[in-house]
Amino acid sequence: MHESALVRFRSEIRHFYIVTVANIIFAAVVMAFGISVIVGEAVSMYETFSTALYVLYSPVVLFIALVAALTGIRWLLTSVRVFEGVEAIKDDLNGMGGEVPDEALTRLIVRMLSHYRDNRATIRTMILVCTLGGVCSFLLGVAVSLEHLSISADGISFTINNYLVIPFMLLTLGVALVSLASSYYFSRFANVWDERLDEIEESEALLKETLEMDRR
Amino acid sequence: MSGRRTAFEIYWEILVFCRTPQSFTGIINRCDLNSKTGQEYLRFLVEKGYIVEVAEGDKTRYLATERAGEYTALFSSLYRKLFDAPPRFKL
Repeated sequence: MHESALVRFRSEIRHFYIVTVANIIFAAVVMAFGISVIVGEAVSMYETFSTALYVLYSPVVLFIALVAALTGIRWLLTSVRVFEGVEAIKDDLNGMGGEVPDEALTRLIVRMLSHYRDNRATIRTMILVCTLGGVCSFLLGVAVSLEHLSISADGISFTINNYLVIPFMLLTLGVALVSLASSYYFSRFANVWDERLDEIEESEALLKETLEMDRR
Repeated sequence: MSGRRTAFEIYWEILVFCRTPQSFTGIINRCDLNSKTGQEYLRFLVEKGYIVEVAEGDKTRYLATERAGEYTALFSSLYRKLFDAPPRFKL
């Protein structure tokens, strides 16, 4: 029983570690993407108001970029907090090699449960932030790629900058996909560990009985 | 071990650590407890006969009794049982 429990625990920790690392990378990409667009828009804003150049900044793009940058920062900070705990558990598990004594495995399981209890709300927030980050980066990619947009009674017409659209679209599509995948994996992870917390609560009656707490 | 733990997890941690005689300071440091809660947990375990106080010179040390084995074994089996089923979280 111990061997299979160890293999399963190790596998889950490794997979969750990969998800948190992917999150940190893409949170940084969303943040950088947002900041670079904010800087570009700030330059356009300056040129629009201070020089004779006819350059117009887009408040919509600026707003989305701001949301993306802030979401990226929040996403990065929460990912790092969750990552640190998982990394410490993973390192300790790897440090023990192939032979992990029963007691050490139980201690690591307790640590993971404890880490999950501490970060339960954060992981729930992360599920939302990942989705928001993906949507923001996707909208930002679309908004920045548009060169001209006009809405009239005849319909909507727009032109896109071919040089910008391909890299932006690829980047935003990648970020959006990873964000949605992260969101999906985080919710699966949260569901699994919520079930485990429920199982532990159910077995507490037995532990209580063993400790003779009722006869206290 | 820090973080949010249940009382049962803390009892287990103390009992496992006290397989060899341990000082009060050693226990609260190892189990990340403050002295007030540490005293409460230890008092309970001593009252129930899971831990005995051993005098070593002028120092008091705490040692888990044989009864503690029943609890720690049950605890370990219940927690490992969480991973009996096929991996529920996979990429």
